[in-house]
Amino acid sequence: MEHEFTPLECLLPTGNLTFCLLILNQPLDKGYFHPLWSKAVLRACADGGANHLYHITEGNHESFLPDYISGDFDSIRPEVQEYYKVKGCELIETPDQDFTDFTKCLQILQKKIEEKGLQIDMIVTLGGLGGRFDQIMASVETLFHATNITPTPVIVIQECSLICLLQPGKHKLYVNTGLESKWCGLIPVGNPCDNVTTTGLKWNLKSTITNVRCHVAERFPKTKKISEACGELLLVPSVLCRITKGQGLKEGQINHVWFKFQ
Amino acid sequence: MEHEFTPLECLLPTGNLTFCLLILNQPLDKGYFHPLWSKAVLRACADGGANHLYHITEGNHESFLPDYISGDFDSIRPEVQEYYKVKGCELIETPDQDFTDFTKCLQILQKKIEEKGLQIDMIVTLGGLGGRFDQIMASVETLFHATNITPTPVIVIQECSLICLLQPGKHKLYVNTGLESKWCGLIPVGNPCDNVTTTGLKWNLKKMTSDEETKGSHKSGRVVLGAWSIWWRANHVLKFGTLVSTSNTYDESGVVTIETDKPLLWTMGIKNKQNV
Repeated sequence: MEHEFTPLECLLPTGNLTFCLLILNQPLDKGYFHPLWSKAVLRACADGGANHLYHITEGNHESFLPDYISGDFDSIRPEVQEYYKVKGCELIETPDQDFTDFTKCLQILQKKIEEKGLQIDMIVTLGGLGGRFDQIMASVETLFHATNITPTPVIVIQECSLICLLQPGKHKLYVNTGLESKWCGLIPVGNPCDNVTTTGLKWNLKSTITNVRCHVAERFPKTKKISEACGELLLVPSVLCRITKGQGLKEGQINHVWFKFQ
Repeated sequence: MEHEFTPLECLLPTGNLTFCLLILNQPLDKGYFHPLWSKAVLRACADGGANHLYHITEGNHESFLPDYISGDFDSIRPEVQEYYKVKGCELIETPDQDFTDFTKCLQILQKKIEEKGLQIDMIVTLGGLGGRFDQIMASVETLFHATNITPTPVIVIQECSLICLLQPGKHKLYVNTGLESKWCGLIPVGNPCDNVTTTGLKWNLKKMTSDEETKGSHKSGRVVLGAWSIWWRANHVLKFGTLVSTSNTYDESGVVTIETDKPLLWTMGIKNKQNV
């Protein structure tokens, strides 16, 4: 069974996508924030994400109250926390240091989705791809855990990048919203991906039936830059895919599955 | 044999470290740029890195000429390229699309190090950890290839983050320069690391003894989320989806040791005027 979706659908002004919005502790992009906020059915902040919400809604805080703010509250500013508390937002302290604020916020979100009996198509996260390198990696880690937390796809957006994790299997991504920039990539974060096939990219991957593994260690792919190659790493258990408009549908030059971090 | 180094040594005003400087296509941090530039023995820009060099040396370009600029030149601004060309900087076009500008720049650097017979302790790269996500990952990828390009350790610095790739084996990192901020992490990018032991961190990883393994006297098989929970138990596996060490910190010793069976990415925070 193939999983189909349009990664940037949530940013379209029209459309039927039902999604939730999570705000992490990174500067918010005005261009994304307003359309996403207005259409989200549930909105939450993870700890310091509330600071950025407060900042971007300067002069009109009351019209932008999150459904809840969760975290260990070591990043949220006291005056911000107080404001949202007074306004009746649910503040859920999650001191458990087994999990990042992002992961915990996702757990709470899933609980609320179930409690309210909502049908959600996507969970959209703003932030998480900038700032401290370990926290960028922690966002990626949360995507791995998200599989066990919620059946709903989770995407993470910041500035000009989007990431999402593709589970083993087949995926069809519609990249024709008009919002896609030209680059995309497939990153085998966490483990090599032994068998990847793509279509629709300028440089596609195509697994060969024989001797896949022996090609892995030998060759560098005949691809353009890594960022455009989509030939680096792929598929299956650990893949981050970013959506952009492919530049044409030219068959790639790669005939061997190739991926690295080796 | 243990590999010892001090990741932030290049930022110390004093010291004997001999290093080269690579500038990638990301905004430059003034706090790092000047001390690094002044002490580097070779200085290079990868394509659009030259734009940032040009920008940060506004008013005094002539005193900050790179030894070479390499790349496919699709990012460098024409007027910047022209300026450095006129000033006699070597411009090396590397159209090969098999490699990123960073990787190619590193290859050229190694060649020059060999041609000049230099003894280099470290290659310091500015940029590469911000902007487009795929390009951040590409920087990580270059660190994997760096092993085959140069024997010299390569570190990448941008804003408050540093990364470097630790090869299988034992490593001793001195983290007592005073420039370290409080966070650090170990990221098993690319592959799980099945056997990691550390000291010097607040939450260490510890290899099981075969006795512990047999007795099952700890729950190493349990899936644990986040970076904290099972530290008191012997645990030694780093893997996305299981355990990734982020937001870790140091004990009082000033030294971190890491033993790993697979390549493992070390990351740490740097104090600068914008952060603690």
